[in-house]
Amino acid sequence: MLRIRVGLVLSSTVFLLVALSGFAAAQDSRAAVIGAEQAEKARTLAPYVPNAAERIMVTLQREVLQDPSGMYPLFASVYSGGGFTLGGGYRRFYGDRTHADVKGLYSIKSYKQVELSTDSWGHANGRLDLHARAGWRDATQVAFHGLSMAAPEDETNFRMKQAYVGGDVTAHPTPWTVAGLGLSFEDFNLESGTGASPSIETAHTPATAPGLGDNPAYLHLAAAGGIDTRASPGYARSGALYGLTYHNYTDRNDTYSFDRLDAEIVQHIPILRENWVVSLHGLVQTTLNDDDTVPYFLLPSLGGGSTLRGFSGWRFRDRTSLLMSGEFRWIPSRLALDMALFYDTGKVTPRLHDLSFKGLASDFGIGIRFHGPLATPLRIDLARSREGMHLVFSGGAAF
Amino acid sequence: MIRTSAPSALYALCVLGAVALLTATPAGNGRKFYDDDPLAREPETENAAGVKPWDIDLFYDLAENLFAHPGDPAPAGRARNVNTIDEVPDSNWFTNRVLARPLSIDELSRGPLTGSGPAPGTWSVVRPKQAGAAPGFTMRDATGELWFVSFDANGFPEAATGAILVANKIFWGLGYWQLENFLVTIRVDQLAIADSAKVRPPSGTERPMKMKDIQDVLKRAHRGADGTYRAIAARAVPGTPLGGFRYYGTRPDDPNDVVPHEHRRELRALKVFGAWTNLTDMKAGNTLDALVTADGRGTVRHYLQDVGSTFGTGANAPHEYDDGFEFLYDGGLTMKRLVTFGFFLQPWQTAAYADVPAIGRFESTVFDPLTWKPRVPTAAFLRARDDDSFWAARRVMAFSDEMIRAAVKTGQYSDPQAAQHLGDMLIARRNKIGRAYLNAINPVVNVTLDETGTLAFENAAVSAGVAAAPGGGYVIQWARYDNNTGATTPIGASTAAATLATPAPAALPSERGAYVKVEIRAVQPPNPSWGAPVTAYFKRTGGWTLVGLERMP
Repeated sequence: MLRIRVGLVLSSTVFLLVALSGFAAAQDSRAAVIGAEQAEKARTLAPYVPNAAERIMVTLQREVLQDPSGMYPLFASVYSGGGFTLGGGYRRFYGDRTHADVKGLYSIKSYKQVELSTDSWGHANGRLDLHARAGWRDATQVAFHGLSMAAPEDETNFRMKQAYVGGDVTAHPTPWTVAGLGLSFEDFNLESGTGASPSIETAHTPATAPGLGDNPAYLHLAAAGGIDTRASPGYARSGALYGLTYHNYTDRNDTYSFDRLDAEIVQHIPILRENWVVSLHGLVQTTLNDDDTVPYFLLPSLGGGSTLRGFSGWRFRDRTSLLMSGEFRWIPSRLALDMALFYDTGKVTPRLHDLSFKGLASDFGIGIRFHGPLATPLRIDLARSREGMHLVFSGGAAF
Repeated sequence: MIRTSAPSALYALCVLGAVALLTATPAGNGRKFYDDDPLAREPETENAAGVKPWDIDLFYDLAENLFAHPGDPAPAGRARNVNTIDEVPDSNWFTNRVLARPLSIDELSRGPLTGSGPAPGTWSVVRPKQAGAAPGFTMRDATGELWFVSFDANGFPEAATGAILVANKIFWGLGYWQLENFLVTIRVDQLAIADSAKVRPPSGTERPMKMKDIQDVLKRAHRGADGTYRAIAARAVPGTPLGGFRYYGTRPDDPNDVVPHEHRRELRALKVFGAWTNLTDMKAGNTLDALVTADGRGTVRHYLQDVGSTFGTGANAPHEYDDGFEFLYDGGLTMKRLVTFGFFLQPWQTAAYADVPAIGRFESTVFDPLTWKPRVPTAAFLRARDDDSFWAARRVMAFSDEMIRAAVKTGQYSDPQAAQHLGDMLIARRNKIGRAYLNAINPVVNVTLDETGTLAFENAAVSAGVAAAPGGGYVIQWARYDNNTGATTPIGASTAAATLATPAPAALPSERGAYVKVEIRAVQPPNPSWGAPVTAYFKRTGGWTLVGLERMP
């Protein structure tokens, strides 16, 4: 046993000496030193294995961008005032740029929506987009304060269920011009609100809430045209929108038919290479015929995250509205972060010629926006008005 | 007792013997210089034929470099692929050209081109362009050779193609492996669709390519008044494409890739070359590795594949105003701008740009090579030391005005003002780079010791005209150097030299194989960094051979 062990150690030692001598000899040149290092690596070669973060990022891109068919999460709104909303959808392409979607949304206020849609993009050499959709939504507690700027701060609420089916076409005759035409059938069913405030019928009559108690169904025609030089409606630091939209709501019973015209201006004025941006927004919505009766839930309104941010949603309603907003934006990070000081002002009136710059409701505030090149996934605005502070969380640009 | 202790004792004895044998060997690790120093070519001893293609995800690459700061966390030391005289040996990464040897105008103007462009006739489109923002596609020419075609973006004639052509020559001259880029004019009627051509439309489902797919590409490209398209045709590189390389770490399946990329000097030097040319889009996706096989052995060649996002233009539009001045995201700047309502202004916000659409936003007045930044922090850039930047700056300064104008001429700009402006900016930026980096460190270069015992050297900053000769001259200290132990024995006291040539002490060793060490300091009070010595090592061969040079520890 002793002989065997001693022999084993001696032979191992001889091998070691030979090997080490060989190693020493092999490193008798700089090239050999480097060669030895490469030989050592050659013994431990391994294929590249992406780490967990890279694998997740690659998977997300593949599922969302490269193979967009299938299930997807949805962050959207059922109806203004619904609160935080989540949902999901399923998409199936049946053409290069044509897909069908089925999706559903649910909010913390039990607002809900289901929709089946199809969208087809880029026809006529990229100038025409076609859309069609059918769906149903339920807004359980939409606020109603009454008509005019004198409406009280105390609110009532109503429940609005809407079934709809329709389609539209959007055209870009040139890169800077946009036109749209849409036709849809919209069937409204109004019920008592489920919110904490009193339901609308307990405080209002058809005299103060036109159409209260009725459930009109409309053929809704919309035609729009304008100039849009913004990089994207979702996020822009320069460019402008000058647009007009005409709405014709034809009531099935012709009781509540009306026409409305929306005129909108957005102008982004970059300063010092977009270090600052002055962004201006003007919007007038007016019912065209003073004799028409517009139901309370389709009246132009102000208040909420995209209009008068210092007031609650749907705070002011009437047949005509005027909104003017200005933002002084600065850009801490061109990649992802904007800040803004803003001022909103506006009013509602029964008739267009009643509009003036007197009696405006105003607010001001500060906002932070996390954005990408073309979209604003998260906007947080803190606004103050005579009715207190309001915090806005939104998944879109202010304008 | 014996059974347990004898083997252990013998084992220990033998190991000790082996250690003694190794340390007694002159070729042991204590040796500073080997007989083959300095290496002129980086050895690649192993067969890399087993290396596999990989995809470095664009968004992950961007996010990782912006937020994770990858690479060696240790403080940046000396570049690890330099040879003992502080130079970068030729390799599959780099080939010494400008500065290392005379580079003629003709040679520079031709750059990496080895043949002619795509063979005339019908060109068959194989697939749309898969990487990068520029409109383009892959095609085979009439002889079946594969080419990658990219166009000027619609509305920006000559911008992207001109930048590619000019940068291609400059980066080739600097020493990088470059694609062979040819300027071509394409007519729609010369294009056909290859039978195998496939596209992946927005639906994500691959299908055979149609002529409309080509039209969709061309819609994004700039169409000339005569209905043709100016484009770049890049010849497919020899070998098997493997994907890009990262600016940190090594490729795990390439046995010869043993120096972490952030420690490769030619990659660190891109900080300076990038600043010169405003090559802001430094990402793995703009690089390409290829497996090349010769004599049955495979090695991986590393290309700077896309150097087109240079000067003042990107693939689709002029550079953003802050390109070259800021990373895409910088937490400190973001916070400062946030709390100051944007009043923490940066130089790019007031830089004046000439109205030269083909060149884009490229200027030299506000440009500061020391603060220039690519879009994304690049691991190799972040570890560049003064000696790396000095090495790079010498190569930039080696481009004469004539060479720069010649490289610009290859851009074939139809507007003479564009070529003039680009040349002017490159010359002005070159000079700024020289002033910034040649003065930042002791600029003694080209140290020689001839048979007569005359030490000669140059001052790179003075030669480049970016500094005056040191008022205090040079201080030189000689020593014998023991290559095995590292011990130095001074030869006399330090001496002063007013000129760039001075006699060595008479007591220099005469035996063959002896080493001497020379420390050279420049005495220039306004420039204290020149006082740190450049250390040169000479070996007695027939005469004296420079075997070592250290500019920084």
